[in-house]
Amino acid sequence: MLTSFIHRFSSPKSFVEVTALFFPYVMFLGFLCLALGWIWGLAFAPEDAIQGNSYRIIFLHVPASIMAQLIYFFMSICALMHLVWRVKLAAYLIKSAAPVGVLITFIALFSGSIWGIPTWGTWWQWDARITSTLILFIMYLGIITLHSSFSNAEKADRLMSILVVVGVVNIPIIKKSVDWWSTLHQPASISISDGASIDPSMLYPLTISILGMALTMIALGILVSKFYILTREKNKKWVQSYV
Amino acid sequence: MINFFSLEAFKLRHKLRAWLGPLLIMILVLIAFPLSIDISQYDLNKFYFSVIVVSLLMISFLATESIFSEDYEDGSLEQIHLEEKDFYKITLAKILVHVFFIGIPMALIGSIFSFANGVSFAEVPKIFVILSISTLILFNVFAFGSALSINKGSMLGVVASLPLALPAIVLLGRGVRTVQYGQGFFEVSVLMAGVALIVTALMPIIISATLKTHLE
Repeated sequence: MLTSFIHRFSSPKSFVEVTALFFPYVMFLGFLCLALGWIWGLAFAPEDAIQGNSYRIIFLHVPASIMAQLIYFFMSICALMHLVWRVKLAAYLIKSAAPVGVLITFIALFSGSIWGIPTWGTWWQWDARITSTLILFIMYLGIITLHSSFSNAEKADRLMSILVVVGVVNIPIIKKSVDWWSTLHQPASISISDGASIDPSMLYPLTISILGMALTMIALGILVSKFYILTREKNKKWVQSYV
Repeated sequence: MINFFSLEAFKLRHKLRAWLGPLLIMILVLIAFPLSIDISQYDLNKFYFSVIVVSLLMISFLATESIFSEDYEDGSLEQIHLEEKDFYKITLAKILVHVFFIGIPMALIGSIFSFANGVSFAEVPKIFVILSISTLILFNVFAFGSALSINKGSMLGVVASLPLALPAIVLLGRGVRTVQYGQGFFEVSVLMAGVALIVTALMPIIISATLKTHLE
């Protein structure tokens, strides 16, 4: 029953049609939340008692870091779907999400590096969290390289899915690196079990920024995957209406 | 299973380049490091473990680079696939034979060189244990990289599998520190052994699926 449900709703054609319906709304909401979160955070949130104004980069850095890990997690779920149920769309989504993952992980590393100068006095530190995030960045690039190395797209999809599933072992390491090692990087300020350790006046714009970043990434993912699906399915009849 | 082991051991034993090459390269790297930089013996003692760890990482990759490629090129893997033989056992046998013939000697070389660089004689067996367990993990991970890039060159295998090996290096580094500071060796070595057993049990399944994908 689950298999038939998945196959019915996971055809590339229906994905392109359904996502086209809500793409403008997701993009608009994403930009709106990002604008609201950033304006609130940069202009109206209070100055931090210790870090001064430099902390305001969290409104970019934290959402980007969360998305960097979430995108990989999403890819690993898609990889499992592709390996178990042979869902073609799942492989297309992995291939489309990987460049988005590269971009957002780069933003997380770069913004963290900028934040490092006023707080740590250095652009880079071989700290557990930073190094593991750099490894994530390389993993995204490795996945893209692996897929592009094979001319047989179906074989490339399966090998890429296997690599993504194996690579998911790094995600808990990145997440827990600040707890497992004594690192320069601060521990998580927002936790599901312990709540938030930051003031609500900073937490609200941060939450809105995270939501905005998530929606923007979904919109970007839809856009990239649509182009990729149309390229991969170019010989199918239904694609002609989009070209 | 014993048949697979003896067959793989026979094949590897007769490929001198495949097992002696990595060991010689490891020795050369470990000799080259003290020659290449002008540092005192005191500094050398501090840094030498890092050299052993990094050379272990790179040589492990070199050692597993062609673990499946020859069988793939001469059609043996395809024949095994067509005969529906158990890929898991063959993969496991290949990895364990490589660990036995190359990994364990590498760990021995690493521990001897650590003795030559100021580690007390009593600590050498501990270093050997840690390095041996690490080679088991690393050979599994790099065999996966080799399986992924079976006909696409070794660079792709490194790019794909090296990020997966880095957590093992973190563990190895922690193990080395326990030897240096003289506490917590048992806990870390048991943790490493546990990780190695899990990796050894799971990785051949993943590698089998990867090889089957290449053959389908």
